[in-house]
Amino acid sequence: MDLKAVNEILSHFPQGRGNLIGILHEVQNHFSYLPEAELRHISKKIDIPITQIYSVANFYNRFSLTPKGHNQICVCMGTACHVKGSEKIMNELQEKLQIQKGQTTHDLQFSLDEVRCIGACGLAPAVVINEDTHGLVKPKMVGKILSKYKP
Amino acid sequence: MAKTVNLIINGKKIKSSAGSTVLEAAQKEGIYIPTLCHHNALDPEGTCRLCIAEFSGSIRNSIRISCIQEVKEDLVVETETERINKSRRLILELLLGRAPEASAVIDLAAKYGVTKSRFLTGESNDCILCGRCVRVCRDKIGVHALCFVNRGPARKITTAFERLSEYCIGCGACANVCPTGAIKVEDKGDQRKIFTWEQVTARFTLEQCEHCGKPFAPKRYLELINKKAYNPKGLEFVDYICPDCFKQHDRLSDKRREGALRKAVNKWSVPRG
Repeated sequence: MDLKAVNEILSHFPQGRGNLIGILHEVQNHFSYLPEAELRHISKKIDIPITQIYSVANFYNRFSLTPKGHNQICVCMGTACHVKGSEKIMNELQEKLQIQKGQTTHDLQFSLDEVRCIGACGLAPAVVINEDTHGLVKPKMVGKILSKYKP
Repeated sequence: MAKTVNLIINGKKIKSSAGSTVLEAAQKEGIYIPTLCHHNALDPEGTCRLCIAEFSGSIRNSIRISCIQEVKEDLVVETETERINKSRRLILELLLGRAPEASAVIDLAAKYGVTKSRFLTGESNDCILCGRCVRVCRDKIGVHALCFVNRGPARKITTAFERLSEYCIGCGACANVCPTGAIKVEDKGDQRKIFTWEQVTARFTLEQCEHCGKPFAPKRYLELINKKAYNPKGLEFVDYICPDCFKQHDRLSDKRREGALRKAVNKWSVPRG
């Protein structure tokens, strides 16, 4: 349990119960997920029942209770991307990474999710990795894109 | 004295104290408004939507839920118009689609002539997500053992991390307030299990009654009662007597309590002056 990191995050916020979401964001960024022991520690520190924190963590898509990969791949499955063959991109990614959508690779390097329209329909089919948007992706480009993110 | 407010519900002139809700005012006058999520002991949350009514007069003409709307001067409320009943039938159909086997929902739906639902999912779940259990656990018992998780169709009631709850005290208040029986308490011998949606969310060994030896309540529950009711100063004083014995032996337990209270007072009283 990495309590030092959690206490460091808690110190960024003023005392009180109103900062839960902000705290969870930082914990999510630091650990790439919300670990149970750390959530219980936060619950004691900011005096919010663990059930309430669990509710919030479950409610928002941004938060995950299982470890996410270092690089988060989001394949757009909106209408335009779908028409332009995002299914093929997804299949290629699943094959290359040897995981199904919604899962994370064993080395915690990549996690693969599908998202609804990201508003880049002109670039369909689009894939977002971390903060970068890759547009007009073709299945054979997938390997090259992934290699940029491999350690 | 609280200020009184004049309003009209279903053509009847009503006086109600300011700050109460329209549903409370109607119930006080014997006007029936159907509801599943409202409970007199709990704060309203407006989840079942069955208590809708047409509002006009001092607020904009609209359909609102009466369990949350506060009474207002010159408010006009209609609870059984055709428009309301049409909406109510749809709400009942949706509830019935989710919980086709819950007798509370079936009975209420039948009252409004809804016997079939277009929204059956093939699954049956008695819970209608009214949140009474969450509210009683959070606001009244104060142990926060239950919560809502997920959202949309995946929304459900469970404990933190969906495991046996370490906060639950086994009081059974959640099962008690549940309108549809989706939460159950099962006592077998000296074991108590609480089922939330068929999932066991708490398991307890019941403490024995000091008089008859019958197992009757979990330890954590007695401890909380002790802390809340008898024991503001953290003294050790627990009456391990089941309700039946308590009624029979009330003189005896009165004596016991008097003795213990006297001890407590002697211990904590500070000489004045």
